[in-house]
Amino acid sequence: MNCETCQELIHDLVDGRITQNDESILNTHLNECLDCTSVRQDLATIVGFARTRRGEYEAPPNEQALWLRIRNVIEAEQVGQTVVSQNERRPSFLGRLMGHSWELSLPQLTAATAAIVLLVSLATVVGLRRWGTTGPFTPANVVQASASTNVNDRFIAKQQAISYWNQRIEQNKARWSPRMRETFEISLQVVDQAVSKSMDDLKQRPDDDFSEQMLDAAMEEKIALLQKFDKMSNF
Amino acid sequence: MKFGFLTRRPSVCARLFAGGLVFAIIFLSPIAVAHAQQKLNKRYPGGKNVRVELRNISGTVVVEAWDKDEIRLSATIESKNAHVVPKQVNECLTIDVMSDNRGRGDIGDINFKLQVPASSSVDLETVRGNIFVSNIRGGLVRAHVSSEGDIELTNISASQVIAQNVIGNITFDGEFSRGGTYEFKSNKGDITIRIPGNSAFRLVAASPARKIALNDFWNSNFKNQDGRKLVGDVGDGRSSVSVMNFSGQITFMRR
Repeated sequence: MNCETCQELIHDLVDGRITQNDESILNTHLNECLDCTSVRQDLATIVGFARTRRGEYEAPPNEQALWLRIRNVIEAEQVGQTVVSQNERRPSFLGRLMGHSWELSLPQLTAATAAIVLLVSLATVVGLRRWGTTGPFTPANVVQASASTNVNDRFIAKQQAISYWNQRIEQNKARWSPRMRETFEISLQVVDQAVSKSMDDLKQRPDDDFSEQMLDAAMEEKIALLQKFDKMSNF
Repeated sequence: MKFGFLTRRPSVCARLFAGGLVFAIIFLSPIAVAHAQQKLNKRYPGGKNVRVELRNISGTVVVEAWDKDEIRLSATIESKNAHVVPKQVNECLTIDVMSDNRGRGDIGDINFKLQVPASSSVDLETVRGNIFVSNIRGGLVRAHVSSEGDIELTNISASQVIAQNVIGNITFDGEFSRGGTYEFKSNKGDITIRIPGNSAFRLVAASPARKIALNDFWNSNFKNQDGRKLVGDVGDGRSSVSVMNFSGQITFMRR
């Protein structure tokens, strides 16, 4: 007899269902095997303890209510654990969107496609109407746009042009004859006076169209003068 | 040591020699300068619709009409280094001093006198110097002084007149043609316009210094913007006149 068959017979022995023949064979093996003897003793101790203490443990008065309370406690603990895990890491909208399984039915897919086509058509119509109102990007429009810019923008643009031409003249002025230098200085002084006067007038009356026109004209005059003498520098 | 020759009176010969030397220096030096100048005289064939374009740097420009169908060019060139090379293409004569003298440095004054048919168009530019134009009755009279110089336009009856300088007076004495355009602009100088009493034009005159005098040409229909700008019609307003003067006087006078 092997140990496995022996341990199955031990259960029958403890339950009192073993035959005499099996019991004699089992005893023969137990006399020879210490492990199986140990198993038989442990099992006999447990069963004996249970038999001797039978009737000492009474059932709770309302067994169903007890089980409900236990169940509520377990469920409450599970909900608490879920909230804590959600607070620890809430996925972003994009993450949820990406993580979502997009499974659309054929009608849903058709409706979504129709909505996209409608939106694109609407956007195109609106865009074309705006294009028709403002016209395409042409030099004339650029001129019109620049004319409609406020006086500060125009002043800054002209000031930049003046700085540019001034720089060029300063580079070449040393090569001029004294008479040419004198002519330039006198003219520049006069034009600068016109620019200053126009600026002062405009500061006093910021909404005065005339002062604005005069400032524009004076600055253009200055640019023309600088350009002329720059041309002379190359002479 | 004695320096008797310093105190001794010079001899008669020595005094005559010194006097002669002073005389030669005073009276003969202008002749020498005159000899250093160049003179240019040329004639160019031209029809009734001649156009003259002159780009000068410094010097006086005089243009006047004469009764011949040709152009006569006279120039006095101060520096012998200066070149003047007029070019004629069909009925257009171009004199571009700036291009002709590129890289030559200061070439001094070049004074021009041009005699042209009365019906000519003249387009004149100089950096410095006066411009005088008279008796022209062609399509265009343009006189532009980039810096300092007076502009005098006398007995002019062109359909387009443009006169502009930075410093200097501008005088226009002539007529406004029907449908013509006339622009006068100065930074520092007076602008005087003498025209017939029956002239008809639309005027825009601007003077930040408030120095506009229309005299006989004033009427109550003019829009007056604080004395700095006047806009209005004189007569039927068929021609367009624009006058701008930053600091000088604008004056209209009956011819």
